[in-house]
Amino acid sequence: LSAADREILELAGAETGDCLDRIEATLLEAEGGHADAEAIDSMFRDAHSIKGTASMVGWKEVASIASTMEDTLGECRETGEFPAKLAAPLLKATDAARKALADESGSGAGPTNEQSAGADVVAPAAPSAPTASRRGIRVGAEKVDRMLDAVGETVLHHRRLEHVLGERIVAAGDDIAEEELGLGERLLDELQDSVIEMRTLPLSSITGSFPRAVRDVATAEGKEVELVITGAETQLDRVILEGISDAITHLLRNAVAHGIESPKEREAAGKPAIGRVELRAGQREGMVAIEVADDGGGVSQELLERGEEVGSLADVLAAPGFSTAAEVTELAGRGVGLDAVKEHVESLAGSLEIRSEPGRGTETILLLPLTLALLRVLLCERGGQPFGVPLPSVREVVLATDVTSLSGRPSIERHGESISLADLAAMLGTSAPPLPSAPTAMIIASSARSVAVACDRVLGDQEVVVKTLGPLLAGVNGYLGAAILGDGRVALILDPNHLLKTQVAASLAVEAPAGQADEERSAPTVLVVDDQFTVRELQRSILETSGYRVETARNGREALERLAAVPEIDIVLTDVEMPEMDGFALLAAIRQHADRSSLPVVVISALEGEEDRRRGIEQGADAYIVKQEFDQQTLLDTILRLVGS
Amino acid sequence: MSGVHVRVRVGDEHYALPVEDVVEVAELGVVTPVPGSRANILGVRNLRGRVIPVIDLASVLGVDSSGERARVVAVDEVIDVELVAEPSEAVESELLKGAALIDGTLVGVVDVRSILAAESPEAEAQN
Repeated sequence: LSAADREILELAGAETGDCLDRIEATLLEAEGGHADAEAIDSMFRDAHSIKGTASMVGWKEVASIASTMEDTLGECRETGEFPAKLAAPLLKATDAARKALADESGSGAGPTNEQSAGADVVAPAAPSAPTASRRGIRVGAEKVDRMLDAVGETVLHHRRLEHVLGERIVAAGDDIAEEELGLGERLLDELQDSVIEMRTLPLSSITGSFPRAVRDVATAEGKEVELVITGAETQLDRVILEGISDAITHLLRNAVAHGIESPKEREAAGKPAIGRVELRAGQREGMVAIEVADDGGGVSQELLERGEEVGSLADVLAAPGFSTAAEVTELAGRGVGLDAVKEHVESLAGSLEIRSEPGRGTETILLLPLTLALLRVLLCERGGQPFGVPLPSVREVVLATDVTSLSGRPSIERHGESISLADLAAMLGTSAPPLPSAPTAMIIASSARSVAVACDRVLGDQEVVVKTLGPLLAGVNGYLGAAILGDGRVALILDPNHLLKTQVAASLAVEAPAGQADEERSAPTVLVVDDQFTVRELQRSILETSGYRVETARNGREALERLAAVPEIDIVLTDVEMPEMDGFALLAAIRQHADRSSLPVVVISALEGEEDRRRGIEQGADAYIVKQEFDQQTLLDTILRLVGS
Repeated sequence: MSGVHVRVRVGDEHYALPVEDVVEVAELGVVTPVPGSRANILGVRNLRGRVIPVIDLASVLGVDSSGERARVVAVDEVIDVELVAEPSEAVESELLKGAALIDGTLVGVVDVRSILAAESPEAEAQN
């Protein structure tokens, strides 16, 4: 089979899938008794197209089913009427055609069922657009990925160029060259954004099968349910869309089977007989929220209370094997399968929330990243090799000082909870030089599980382009993919769920716990100001371990708010480069404030220049620590000198 | 079935790869190991923004190779790009298309597709 032939077959499969989607949607409407001449015409034309395409590429079964459908619809077209009783058998026929398509084409029907990288991207995406001119062009997904690779590398090349030339250009006062370099960066950003946009598809590309799924469950359960879909135009990464369709279908079926009450119960509760299930999608806080809401009975008061205890209703309901259904019906219980949905969402670096009100209904929310191509990860190093962990899965970064052993396994205590501590190298089944006695550890958490993963050092958080490891390494568990870092190194992106599942008796070089700080003494309070999550958490950990109380802020403006809200703050540690209000501006504001002008301020900065050090001291910083020289002891000594412990 | 081949040295042995299967010859560069992968796969590397796996040809073919590896296709040395006549000698390995005598040296003609198939997860599942 040549590449061109394969392309034609893929195109034929996608087109046939589109036609079937349209027929099905029209039939579902017709079932309610509304099928005008135009609807009949459209179904007839689609059936005819399927027959033509399928015959041309040799899918005999598909062609034969389509031909039967065409005949039936042809008769309707002549009479100008569509008897409602025809809808059910025709829906069955579309199912049969889909199955035949999957068998004969050797792939799924349309993007819904396609898991491979061979899925098509429609760009600009407009699958339901009626006219050919708006359909856009079909481009192989791997071509888009290849382009994204090239763009990513060009961005890195530009950064190297800036690094090499930047200082020289500034020193020479060459404004034109500086401007051109800046322009190049903006153009590359735009290019990268538009390529990433090409990888996205609207949610509507997978919603085609949902009305049918809802109808089937409702019929089986003897319920009447209306499905309302809003925000179907919301764009999502193709890879996320491929995997999320089953999860949404599951949530919809759950909502109908276990959310919506029987018509009798609804009447007794004074609700309309027809239940309502809503699928809503939209952007929220830089992520995509997909919500499935029903106006059914909601979960019991008891479960709500348990949810409050645990801190998350989703965790209670998604506990493996959990079901709120009193009896096991033919369909999955409310919680059955929810654990799988949760796990899947988390493997995509997303999260699951559930809200419910007894008697009023339940709302399940999937929060997903906009794109898998760009992922915010926490970078760490073990054995000289960089690794990334999706940031939403990292609860905090700690310095594992007080390591205790529980049945032979090392663990640390955080917020009154014992968390097992494992060496990243041991978890991955590789070897690396021994860890220091108090290693840096990332606490990775999902649902009720958490694990502290020890590494040599944490490098910081960064937005990276995630690439697949390719077919040869597809069988290796534990990785979401790989990313190329600014220095050209490849970082493997770890799958947090795999880390949580890996039960390794990690061999850690654990030394006797150091003498604990006397917590009875009134501990000084330190305000840590840094825009980087990692830095804040690392400093918090170092300071808390030494017995200090810690407050945090993400920039100068937030720091001033904290200072106003928490008068007992004894000392401020601040970064220099921060959005909204930088460290020097914060320092100036503190010095100008009547009550706080003598508050000790330590400036911690990545800026190494003597100039900055002078500027910091001149503006009244009590100490200045350069990040490159940063070590725990220097920091603690400096704070001890300024406020005591 | 003669064609242009890239002739390489693996340990003390000579092999030829069909030129259609060779994208480019590059320095091995920095290889990032992928813990958990099969021993024949040295890891992944960055080839101008693409993450590609690095296969150790010596290990796949069972050749003893202690020398420093300098080329990305995991061979020890690229000798030449040359026309290799149709393999004249039959060989038993499924990973080779055959062998040919070139200037008195026996050169194995590598079947790149078979090697990639043998290293795929499906093949592993069958073993």
